[in-house]
Amino acid sequence: MDLGDKKDIKNDTKSEVREPSVKDSGRRSFIKMMGVLAVGAGLAVSLRGLVQSIIPASVGVTSFPDLTLVDQSGNPITTDSLKVNDYTIVLFNYPLQNEPNFLLRLGDANGNDVEIPSITVHNPDGSSFTSPGGKGPYKSVVASSAICEHLGCTPPNIRFYPPTMTGPFAGKIHCDCHGSTYDPYKGFQVVTGPTVLALPNVVMTYDNGNYKVSNMVGPTIHGHPTDLTGGNPLSSTTSTAIYTLS
Amino acid sequence: MSDESEIRKENMISQIMNSPQPLPRRVPDYMRKKGGIWYWTGAMVMFAFFYEVITGLVLLFFYQPSNPFGSSEALVYNVPFGSIMLSTHLYGAYVMIALVYIHLLRNYFVGAYKKPREMQWITGVLLLVLTLGAAFFGYTMDGDVLAKAATSIGSTIAAGTPYIGNAVNAIFFGNGTALSLYSRLLGWHIVMVLLIGVLFAVHFFMAEYNTIMPRGKDVNYRAPAVDTDKPEYKPWYPHNLAFMMELFFIVVAAIVLIPSVFALWPSIPVVFSPFPASPTVIANTPPWFLLFVYKELDFNFASTLLNPFWDTVLFVGAPLLYLLIIPYLDRSSSLMLSDRWIFVALGVTGVVYLVGLSTWAFVYGVLQPTMIVPNYQVAIFFFVPAVLIFLFTYLVRNSIHLNKLKLKRPEVLFTIVGLMGFFSVVSGILIYESYVLHDAYALPGMAAMLTITAILAVISVAIILGIFNPGYSGDTVLATPKTRIIAASMFGALSLFIAIEVSFIKPDSPTNNAYYGIGLAMILLAVAGIIRIYRGESLGE
Repeated sequence: MDLGDKKDIKNDTKSEVREPSVKDSGRRSFIKMMGVLAVGAGLAVSLRGLVQSIIPASVGVTSFPDLTLVDQSGNPITTDSLKVNDYTIVLFNYPLQNEPNFLLRLGDANGNDVEIPSITVHNPDGSSFTSPGGKGPYKSVVASSAICEHLGCTPPNIRFYPPTMTGPFAGKIHCDCHGSTYDPYKGFQVVTGPTVLALPNVVMTYDNGNYKVSNMVGPTIHGHPTDLTGGNPLSSTTSTAIYTLS
Repeated sequence: MSDESEIRKENMISQIMNSPQPLPRRVPDYMRKKGGIWYWTGAMVMFAFFYEVITGLVLLFFYQPSNPFGSSEALVYNVPFGSIMLSTHLYGAYVMIALVYIHLLRNYFVGAYKKPREMQWITGVLLLVLTLGAAFFGYTMDGDVLAKAATSIGSTIAAGTPYIGNAVNAIFFGNGTALSLYSRLLGWHIVMVLLIGVLFAVHFFMAEYNTIMPRGKDVNYRAPAVDTDKPEYKPWYPHNLAFMMELFFIVVAAIVLIPSVFALWPSIPVVFSPFPASPTVIANTPPWFLLFVYKELDFNFASTLLNPFWDTVLFVGAPLLYLLIIPYLDRSSSLMLSDRWIFVALGVTGVVYLVGLSTWAFVYGVLQPTMIVPNYQVAIFFFVPAVLIFLFTYLVRNSIHLNKLKLKRPEVLFTIVGLMGFFSVVSGILIYESYVLHDAYALPGMAAMLTITAILAVISVAIILGIFNPGYSGDTVLATPKTRIIAASMFGALSLFIAIEVSFIKPDSPTNNAYYGIGLAMILLAVAGIIRIYRGESLGE
């Protein structure tokens, strides 16, 4: 509309006649088109600015930290402090604050430690990875992300059902949200969908009676662009504390 | 008026801006008589929307994105009347969503999307999307168990957007920190509501421009159905104002009453609870209006072939697309249901899918840990009802065309059958609550719901058999001036009495507030009653 006015004023000064542009509908549509073009250009520029400004800056860490697993009072946890086949949910956050992980000491139906081998885990979507296997004196302690790979449900909606329990999920990790089931004895691989990805495994080391976490293998932690972004870093650079949910 | 058809050929904007009609338009008298409430479903959505805006602005003073759950709990337990404010804001949204669906279905079945209301219909469908969006961002704001599950699912769907998933996710749900998440939920909630306000204004002016959809028999059941102002139409003020105020008080009374009653029901299922869920609750289902999306995500074929984003596009996008293009699919000028039987059958099938998926999700979400749904079950669910409904609709249509069956007001029948379906679903849930969970409170509720279902079933059979014929004729009578005076004074005395009674309640707990809310709702209903009597006495309606 601005453009049209200017054009008219120009006409005015040049030919001293202010003609309503009805006479030449082609000229009028051209001016309209230019107007639309200019408005479009302005919109595109503003939209780009708007979109870029509302995408938040990414937060996270740059590499996987090496952290010792400690209890709530800051003492390194021992194998004895973990119960075999514990129904209580034991969690620790790694590598970011909003990335909870299960810590499990796996046993058989009689409550004896089971040695967990390192295996190649095949995901239903075709990808695969090598699980780190169990750690500790009995090679029975494993850890994985506690965020369901289907839609991101977290404990207590997703939890471990020890093999000492009865029911279809005994010895499995099951998510109540949409029924995804994982096998912690086999690198947290998928037992039933809807998920198509295993739970990301936490790489642990066992050294002088202490448990350390140093890496993640497998799929990306659910809801995160990468394992290391999409959340605040942990407060400590040397340890991460375990906590429980009933 | 003579050149109106000529003016109509100009575009809507020039018509609205350059030659405005009296706003709001005068409307026919039958809209304020028995059965006329079907012409006001949009107005009722508007009332609920206003209520939401006002309570929402109050809640804005208390909400802390850095402490979402804590600040919600503090509002419920520590702020006088805070629990009423929060729970009625939630239920106001529920009422608004329910009314939006009713408004949509009513206009679908009467064919209001046809010429000249195509654009009005499309803005309406967009308003449905915005309403559900605002509701999603609203109920996730309190940071309770339900909210956390919903945000993780919402962000998974957003992150599944091809190519720009991470950016879309970050725009709506932040960068992963809790503060950025809840700041954004608050921001988007307000943005969505603002967009509803703007688009509602457009929708409203279009409705004024296109006039109300007159009753079918006045336009011979032919589109374009346009109402022309007749000299005998009553002035807008006071006739419509009084009628609308009566409706307004009834809608607000419902919004205040329902959550106040539910607040007193200790074992209410968490998806219906008017308060934020306690952190110890295991809740894996979204609120009722999103249950249908939830169920689709665990269909076997959907989870193996598609990601959650494409699931949502398929199961939410496809019905929405259908609604958007229906004005251009059903192009015939007939407004008769029997002439549009395919679209009627599609509409009924859609309702059955919506209700069925929601119920399925609710029952299985609570009854047992959910499992993936095998493809054959999905196929049965989608094909069997569709085939039955199409067959039934076709047979009814044939009988009507052969004059074997006469349905005077079929939309009334549809509504009653729909309500019946709803109440039978609720009673089913309560049967489960009562016999499986041994919930003592569910038993009377179940009895009431089953009774309502039975009554509705009898009414619908009576309509089909022609025994009972609801219509617009027949004015409601509060017969004599004497009865009006007595009724009005009773309502007046009742409200005064309740006001005094509830003023003794200390607003220091959600329970006390609930009693207060029930009292308030009764007063609002009394006001509506008095307006009704006034309309009878002074306006002759």
